[in-house]
Amino acid sequence: MHCNDHHHNENKNYTRRDFLTKTSLGLGALSLGSLISPVNAYGQSEFLNLLDSEKMKLPHFIPKAKRVIYLFQSGAPSQLDLFDYKPKLNEMFGKEVPKSIIGEQRLTGMSSGQNSFPMAGSLFKFNQHGQSGAWMSELMPHTAKIVDELCFIKSMYTNAINHDPAITMIQTGSELPGRPSIGSWLSYGLGTDNKNLPEFVVLVTKGKNGQPIYSRLWGNGFLPSQHQGVQFRSGKDAVLYLKNPPGVTSGIREEQLKSLKKLQKIQHADIGDPEILTKISNYEMAYRMQTSVPEVMDVSDEPQYIFDLYGEDSKNPGTFAANCLLARKLAEKDVKFIQLYHRGWDQHGNLPRDIKKQAKETDQATAGLIQDLKQRGLLEDTLVIWGGEFGRTNYSQGMLKPDNYGRDHHPRCFTVFMAGAGVKKGITIGATDDFGYNIAERPVHIHDFQATLMHLLGIDHEKLTFKFQGRRYRLTDVHGNVVNEVLA
Amino acid sequence: MRTELLDFLGSLHPLVVHLPIGIILLTIAIDVFMRNKNNSVKRVITMGWFFSFLSGLFAAIFGWFLGDNGYYFEEQINIHRWSGVALVFLCFVIWLLLYLNFRFNRSFTRSINITAIILLMVTGHFGGEMTHGQNYLFENLPYVKKEISVTPLTEVERSEIDSLYVFEDLIYPVLEEKCMACHNKNRAYGGLNMNTFESMMEGGNSGVGILKNKPYESLIYKRISFPHDHPKFMPPAGVPMSYDQIATLEWWIDKGAKKLMPISLARKDAKMQRLMEILYKLDLREKSYLETLKLPALSSDDLNGLNGEKYIWRFLNAEESFLDVKFTAKTIQKVDLLKMQKVKENVTWLNLADCMLSDELLSDISSFPNLTRLKIQKNPLVTDKGIKALLGMENLSELNLYGTRVTDAAFTTLGQMTALKKLFLWNTRVTAAGIEAFKAQHPEIEVIAGL
Repeated sequence: MHCNDHHHNENKNYTRRDFLTKTSLGLGALSLGSLISPVNAYGQSEFLNLLDSEKMKLPHFIPKAKRVIYLFQSGAPSQLDLFDYKPKLNEMFGKEVPKSIIGEQRLTGMSSGQNSFPMAGSLFKFNQHGQSGAWMSELMPHTAKIVDELCFIKSMYTNAINHDPAITMIQTGSELPGRPSIGSWLSYGLGTDNKNLPEFVVLVTKGKNGQPIYSRLWGNGFLPSQHQGVQFRSGKDAVLYLKNPPGVTSGIREEQLKSLKKLQKIQHADIGDPEILTKISNYEMAYRMQTSVPEVMDVSDEPQYIFDLYGEDSKNPGTFAANCLLARKLAEKDVKFIQLYHRGWDQHGNLPRDIKKQAKETDQATAGLIQDLKQRGLLEDTLVIWGGEFGRTNYSQGMLKPDNYGRDHHPRCFTVFMAGAGVKKGITIGATDDFGYNIAERPVHIHDFQATLMHLLGIDHEKLTFKFQGRRYRLTDVHGNVVNEVLA
Repeated sequence: MRTELLDFLGSLHPLVVHLPIGIILLTIAIDVFMRNKNNSVKRVITMGWFFSFLSGLFAAIFGWFLGDNGYYFEEQINIHRWSGVALVFLCFVIWLLLYLNFRFNRSFTRSINITAIILLMVTGHFGGEMTHGQNYLFENLPYVKKEISVTPLTEVERSEIDSLYVFEDLIYPVLEEKCMACHNKNRAYGGLNMNTFESMMEGGNSGVGILKNKPYESLIYKRISFPHDHPKFMPPAGVPMSYDQIATLEWWIDKGAKKLMPISLARKDAKMQRLMEILYKLDLREKSYLETLKLPALSSDDLNGLNGEKYIWRFLNAEESFLDVKFTAKTIQKVDLLKMQKVKENVTWLNLADCMLSDELLSDISSFPNLTRLKIQKNPLVTDKGIKALLGMENLSELNLYGTRVTDAAFTTLGQMTALKKLFLWNTRVTAAGIEAFKAQHPEIEVIAGL
């Protein structure tokens, strides 16, 4: 008897368990996406049965947005110094937060031991802007000019009180690691709109300190590996390990891949593992990306006034501004989910000094990106999101001085703003109390926010599921309601 | 005086009517279950049929008076009336035969018993429908999903909100059911004829039926919203109007009681909109063109033309009938557009940016009837001349022309495009003055022409 016979029989009926074991161990092609939609990728194999039939007809309804640019502000920007104007805190500057406001709510270990919780009104001036009269602090003068394009949600809240679970929550819908990121879900659900670039691209501002950012935040979790986010780095090698090794020409590489494909096809005909097809497409995508990535990363064609729009940083690769410009270029190429990360908002102390710097780095580029998308007609089908993982406290962490304070983590309320496809312009949804501590009006949980995001892309968040470990999972787990008030 | 007496006797019908029901059933039960029929039993049965007949006769006479007072529709009452009469007659015949000692064999007994029970059920059911409303029997059927619908609007009617009128489609059917048995052109109780809009507005002997904008002073509204035991409460018999029926009438009078008031007006009134949605199952949300458009799903054969490197397409809806198509090659030829001909009705979003599109090819695009979003930016060969071809595109709401060579002359064409809502003109040859003039003329169109 041939020693492979056992192997053959097993794989004729390729099981879910086999597949999941393989994908979770075989994250080889980290940087590679795929041009093939998940449904096609599995072709006519039995594996199709694994995909929920509900998911197959996507989008579930006519989408408003075709792509998302998520400007993630890691570390949690202080809503009280940027958007959420609370004159009461200035009036009562230095006084204790009333007991009735905090109640029995938990605080982090970093400030729960404090003898005193003095209220810290923002040191920055607030003004109303635009026809919508939205309040913005002086920290964001450029964004203030475009408030009539924006939709503020001032009543966001989350479960987690520390960075890692909170970021994991807003990215994957769960505080525990291991679930797919939003971009992976969209890639899995909607497939691709471009042939030469991945569906999910990540850009991280270089040289920033603060809370760590790591690849599992854009990981595919239990979804097939081609749906993970691909990080584009600044500098020479935008995508790692994409270049041919020294001495290998493009022609040789092509020949090599052709031969490899033949072998892989034989293997697939033999054992029917759908992941082999994924692998083939990954190699092909990587080959195409050898030309498409340098092309999209090249900003030399951009006129000076575009650089001016995004700010002086935009000529310096790896900065937030430069990444915003790249985000626009990726959006033009129909990359579905473009996620930027900007670290450094975790201002437990010296907040007034540090937030100025952070705001300066992000303000103009954010406004510039939204305007640039608008003039190109891209804002019609691109959703732009700006926000962090939670908010910051109304009281000072550490000593409150007339010109200095810090703010601790605050999951009870924070502000996120959105612009673009399908979102109402120039409105504010929800409100916090006069002390900026609890939500007074229209709470929006992370899962509601995620459900809304999915809705804008034409997905019913309750229907996009993936069966894993015996149950169906979805981005919003068993929660989430679409925030209808934001829908245009 | 005489009518009053008859009305009083008529109102005894519901009381008396239950006597024959009980007696008939008991008589049949004795007949069926007392197998050993000695003389006493036979006499009890004969007596049973006699009292069935006698009480039935009274019930029928009183019922006749009740039916004659005009609260009920002829067609509704007829089955009840005549099956009742037949039942009374049957009781009489059975009693007479038994009384005359006519010999019944078993199968004859069984068939007259069954006939009597069937007649009893028919009469009882249709009598019940008159007092409790149609379908009362099935309304509370357990384990069956019930469609609770206030007015009999069909699925098609529901889907065409804009062609529905408050009076004709929501109010009139209710009046027909609740009022017109008495208030019609032949009978016109109290001088009120509700058959036509005009005669209803006019009212009857007591005064004007409906005062525009004044629901609480309108007689018809007052009569239907009285406490139910008020002597003037309408309708005097049968099921009263429901809250939503009264609310709809109130709202309609309040808004001017116009014969041709469209239902879509409820969009301006949050409460009425909710009421329409929940009770009448009318979806009043404003819909975009695509939401109202229905096309058959596409097959893979239809999509053959779009396979290959040059196109990226995806469905825009779960029905797989709307397409979002992007052309990806650097230059576009006529043949590339011809490949889309097969699905031209289905292409709703089309992106032909940056592919050296020429004016000539634009005329081929204009034959895509359901295109709502067209992106032809970054095509320097596109000029005012090409834009003219787009004139006939009645559903195009979004047009991206940035980076083309259109000038102010294009505004003449663009201004005539009826569905246009958004226009992108950055990096073109249009002038700031031209844009201002166009905006002033077409405030409904958003023009985005750079910062």
